[in-house]
Amino acid sequence: MSIIKSVMFDEWRYWRRTKVATTVILIGIALALASVIVNSIEVRQASAERTELQRISEQTFFDQPDRHPHRMVHYGHYVFRTPSPLSIIEPGVDAFTGTAMFLEGHQQNTAMFSEQRQSSGLTRFSSLSPAFMLQVLVPLMLILVGYSCVTREREAGTLHVMITQGVKVRDILAGKFFSLAGSGMLMLAPLAIASLWAGVHGESLAITASFVLGYVVYILVWSAIVLWGSTISSRSNASFAILIALWVVLCILVPRIASTTAASLEPSPGKLETDFSVVEELRALGDGHNASDPAYEKLKQDLLSQYGVDDVADLPMNFRGVVLTYSEKKLTDVLNKYAEARMDEELSQAEIARQFGWLSPMVSMRTFSMMIAGTNLENHHRFLREAEDLRFDFVQALNHAHEHDLDYHTDINRYVNDDTAKAARVDASHWQVLSSFDFAPESAQFRLSHSLRYALQLLLWAGLMLALIKRASRGVM
Amino acid sequence: MSEPVVVAESLNVRFADQCVLDDVGFTVNRGEVFALLGGNGAGKSTTLKTFLGTVAPTSGSASVLGHSVTSDSDFIRSKVAYLPESVMLYGHLTGMENIEYFLSLADVKRSASDIEAALKRVALQADTWHKKLADYSKGMRQKTAIALALLRSAPVLFLDEPTSGLDPSAIDEFNQLVTALSEAGSTVFMVTHDVYGACQVAHRIGLLDQGKIVGVFERNGNELIDTEQVHTAFAKRNA
Amino acid sequence: MLFADFYREMRFLSKQRYIVLFLSAVFALSAFAVWSGLHETKLQQATIERLLEKDSVDRENVLAGQGDYGSAAYYSFHVTYSEPSSLAFAAMGQRDTFPWKHRIRMLALEGQIYETDAENPELSLFGRFDFAFIVSVLLPIFVILLLHDLRSGEKEAGRYDLLVASAKKQHKLWLSRALVITTGLALAMLVPLLVGAAITQAPLAKTVAMVLITLAHLLFWVVVTVIAGRMMLARGQNSPRIASALLGVWLLATVIVPVVSDTLINQSITGPNGGEVVLTQREAVNGAWDQPYSVTWDEFLKTHPEWADYTDMESSFDWKWYYGFQQAGDQHAAELSKAYRDTIVRKDVAAGKASLMSPAMLTQRLMSSLASTDISASLAYEQDVRDFHASLRQFYYPLLFKGGEFELEQLADMPLYQQRLSN
Repeated sequence: MSIIKSVMFDEWRYWRRTKVATTVILIGIALALASVIVNSIEVRQASAERTELQRISEQTFFDQPDRHPHRMVHYGHYVFRTPSPLSIIEPGVDAFTGTAMFLEGHQQNTAMFSEQRQSSGLTRFSSLSPAFMLQVLVPLMLILVGYSCVTREREAGTLHVMITQGVKVRDILAGKFFSLAGSGMLMLAPLAIASLWAGVHGESLAITASFVLGYVVYILVWSAIVLWGSTISSRSNASFAILIALWVVLCILVPRIASTTAASLEPSPGKLETDFSVVEELRALGDGHNASDPAYEKLKQDLLSQYGVDDVADLPMNFRGVVLTYSEKKLTDVLNKYAEARMDEELSQAEIARQFGWLSPMVSMRTFSMMIAGTNLENHHRFLREAEDLRFDFVQALNHAHEHDLDYHTDINRYVNDDTAKAARVDASHWQVLSSFDFAPESAQFRLSHSLRYALQLLLWAGLMLALIKRASRGVM
Repeated sequence: MSEPVVVAESLNVRFADQCVLDDVGFTVNRGEVFALLGGNGAGKSTTLKTFLGTVAPTSGSASVLGHSVTSDSDFIRSKVAYLPESVMLYGHLTGMENIEYFLSLADVKRSASDIEAALKRVALQADTWHKKLADYSKGMRQKTAIALALLRSAPVLFLDEPTSGLDPSAIDEFNQLVTALSEAGSTVFMVTHDVYGACQVAHRIGLLDQGKIVGVFERNGNELIDTEQVHTAFAKRNA
Repeated sequence: MLFADFYREMRFLSKQRYIVLFLSAVFALSAFAVWSGLHETKLQQATIERLLEKDSVDRENVLAGQGDYGSAAYYSFHVTYSEPSSLAFAAMGQRDTFPWKHRIRMLALEGQIYETDAENPELSLFGRFDFAFIVSVLLPIFVILLLHDLRSGEKEAGRYDLLVASAKKQHKLWLSRALVITTGLALAMLVPLLVGAAITQAPLAKTVAMVLITLAHLLFWVVVTVIAGRMMLARGQNSPRIASALLGVWLLATVIVPVVSDTLINQSITGPNGGEVVLTQREAVNGAWDQPYSVTWDEFLKTHPEWADYTDMESSFDWKWYYGFQQAGDQHAAELSKAYRDTIVRKDVAAGKASLMSPAMLTQRLMSSLASTDISASLAYEQDVRDFHASLRQFYYPLLFKGGEFELEQLADMPLYQQRLSN
C-alpha cells in the first residue's frame, strides 16, 4: 500500500515540477467551475421566468369575462416546462425541445420555441454545460496529464530499475491509476457541489448520489483508458497518439455516428406527414361543431330513446355540448394513438443511438446522466403527455359546462343578434376548471430503474478496462 | 600543398548563460583525418553540429571548403557525408530502401549495383539487405550508414563517435576503411572519446576540454600518434 | 524540382502503414458523412414529394365538399417547404432545429408559423455527422496528429541530424513532407464530397467554393501546426508537448470561443420571447369575438382600404369578419414578430463576427451558407411562407367580400406555394 502511495505522490510531484499537468488540471477545474456557475444561473433564470409565465397564463385564463364556453375551448391555454433540478449540470435535450406549448380544443400542437432555435447557432458542437465539460473535455485533460505516466518511466529506464528492485508492476500501475483518478476527481468537484445544491432544491438523495457516482465511474474508466494506453506503448509519442485517437473516436465520432445511424435506420416521417392520416380519420368522426353531422346520428337516437323524447331540443341537456364532449373524446383517442406512435418511433430511434453506449463510454455516460437528471427524451414525452392530459381535462370540463349550463335554444340562436349572442354565455366562474400545471420529471424510482442498463454499460467499460490493464501489466517488462 | 577544407576560427557558442564552445580554432586539410578528442560535455557534438548547421555560432566562424556554415549550409551539406553516433534510420524501410531514400534526399543518383558494391565494401551480409531496418543490430545499422556515406562520394566526412558500440573486428574494418578513404583524397573530421581509436586513424588530434582546445597531437612522419602520450593528457584533464 | 521532392516523399510516406491507415480512416469517415448526408437529403426530398401529393389530393377532396368560400379557406391546408439544396448533404446546418416544412391555412399566420415539426431532440443533441463537421471540428485534430511531430518526431527518433545533413535543401524536405500529407488529407476528405456533388449535380461554382473553404481551413491548420512544431522544437519541447499546445489552440477555437461568444451574445442581444408573439396574437384574435365589429374593421382597413365599402354583415357571424380579425390579429403581433425575427438576425450577425475568431465556426458558417442551410436561409424560407400566406389572402378576399355563390371553378386559380430560394 505504501508503495502505491509513494508512486502516486511521485507522479503528483512530477506534475507540479513540470507545470504542464498542473496547468491542464487547473484549466479543467476552471472550465468545470465556470460552466457550473453560468449554467446554474441560466437555469435558475429560465426556471423563474417560466414559473412566472405559467402563473400569468393561468391568471389570464381565469380573468376572461363571461363567454360562450366553447369560445374558451378555442381561447386555449399555455403551459411551460420548468427545468429539472439537475439540469444545471445535465441540460440534456432541454435546449432542443420546445419549452412552451399552446393547448386548445380539437388539436394537439407541438412544443414551440426551443432554446437552440433562439440562440446564436454557435453551440452545435460544444456547449457550456458541465455535462459536456465532464463527458468530453475532462477525458482529454486526463490524456494530456497522464499519457506519459508509464512510458516516461520506461524511456528513462526508471521502470526497469523499480521492477528489478522488486516493486510489483501491479503496485506501480495502481499508484499511477490513483494519481490520475485523483486529478479527475478534482475536476469533478464542482459538479459534485452543484449536485448537492440540486439536492437542496428538491432532488432526491438517491438520485443525486447515483448521478455523482455515475460520473465517478466514468472518470475511473477514462483514467484506466489513459493508464492502459501508456502501459501498452513503448514511447510517449505513441501513447499520446493512441490516446488522442481513442478520444476522438469515443467522445466525438461514436456519438455522432450513433445519431446519424439511428436517423438512417429508422427514418421518422414527421408529424406533418402523419397529420394527413390523422385528418382522414378525424373526418370520419365528424365535425363536433356541427351537431347535425350524420356521424352523430346514432348518438342522437340513443339519447332520444333514453329520455323518451322526439326532438333534441327536448333533451334535459344541451345536445350541442353532448356532441362536443363525445367528439372531443373520440378525436383525442385518435390524436393520442398517433402521438403515442410518434413517441414510440422517437424512442426507438433514441434506443438505437443508445446502443452505441456499448461502443463508447461517453455515450453510455451521457444516456445515464440524462436519464438520472430527467432531461432525456422520455422526460420530454412526459411533458407532452401531461400537457395533453391537462388539455383534455379542461376542454372536457368546458364542454361539460356547455352541456349542462347553457340552454340549447339560447345556444343555437346565438348568431341572430347581439342580444342573443350575449345570452349565450356562461359565468366566468366556470373558467376555474383549469387545473394548474406543475411539471416535474419522472419519479426517482422510475429514473433509477430505467438507468440500470446504462449503468451496466458503464460498469462493463470499467470491467473491460480492468481486464485490459491486467493483460497489459503482464507485458510491461 | 596543404589545402584547408574544414576550418574553425575563434568559434564561440553559448546556450543561455552557459559557454559551450570557447574560442575554438582548428584547420583540417584535404586528405587529412582530424580527430577532436574529449570527454562527456567537452563540446565535441556542439562543434560538429555547428558545422552541420543545426547549431548557430554565437561568434567566430566555421567554414567548409571556404563556405561559411551560417550563410551556405546547403552547399556544405552537399559536400559533406555525416555518420551519426548512434545510427537511426527508418525502421519501416529495408536497408536498401533507406539508402535509396537518403541518396535521393541528397539528390545523388546511384545504380543498384553501386549500392550493392558499397554494402559489400562495408561487409554487410547480403541476405540482410532486403530486411526491415527494425530488425537490424546496432552494428548492421552502422554499416548501412557507412555505406550511405561512401555512396554520397562526398569530399568531406563528418564522423560522430564512429566506433562506439562496435565489436573489435568491426572497429578494425572501420579504421581500415577510413584510412583508405583519406588516401583516396577524402577529408575526415571526427569527434570521439576513444583515445586508442583516434590514434589509430588520425593524422592530427585536438584535445577538447570544457569548450577549449587544450592540446594538439600530430603524427611524426608515418608513425602513428603515441597513444600513451594522448592518454596521459586526456586523463589529466578528466581527472 | 519540387515535383521530384514531392514524388520522393509520396513514395516514402506511402510505405508508412500508420499514415496510410490514418488517411484511409479519414476517407472512410468522409465517405460515411457524405453518404449519410445524401441519404438524409433524399429522405427530405421524398418527404416533400409525398407531402405535396397528399396535399393536393386532400385539398381537392376538401374543397369539393364545401358550400362557401369561408369554409373552403378554413378547411383547406397548404403545404409549404424548403427543398434541401444540392449541397445540403455536405452541411446540414440548422435544418434539424429550424423548420423546413409547414402546413398552413388562411388563419392568423403568427399562430401557425412557429410550429416546428422538429427532429428527434435526442438525435439533435448528439448532432449530425456531416461533411462540414469533419472539416470544421475534426480536420484540425487530423492535421495536429499527422504533422505536429514533422521535425520533433525525427529528432526523437535520432534521425534529425542525419536527415538535415543529407538533404540537399533542408526546407524542401519538410515542405514536401508536409505537402504530401496535406494533399493526402485533402484528397481523403474531398473525393467523397466531389462524388456527392456529382450525384446531386451541385453547381460548379458552389462546389468549388466548398472545396476552397476546406482547403483554406486545412492550410490554416497546416501552417499553424508546422510553425508551432518548429518553434517549440527550437525551445526544446518534445512531440507530445507540441501536440498538447496545439490541442489547446483547437480547444480555444472550437469550444471556448464559440461557447463564450454564445453566452455573451445571448446576454447582450435580447428581444421579445417567441411566446410573447404568439400570446399577443392569440389575445387579439380571441378578443375580437367580444369587441364591436368596428374594432376589427378599423384595424383591417388600415392595410386593406379597398374593402371599406364591403364591411356590412348579414348576421352576427360572417366569414369575411372572421378572416378580418385573423388579419387584424397578425397586424397586432406584427411589430413583436418583426422584433423577434430581428433578434434572430442580430444574433446571427453577431455570431458571424464572433466566428472570425474561431476558424472552426467560420468554416461551419461559410459551408452552411453555401448549402443554404443556415439561419438566413431558414428566415428566407419563413419569408416565403409569409408571402405565400399573403397571396392566399389576396386571392380569397375578393371572393369573401364580393359575396356571390360558391363556385368550385373560382378556386382553380388558387395560388400555389413556390420556393423562391433556388439552388
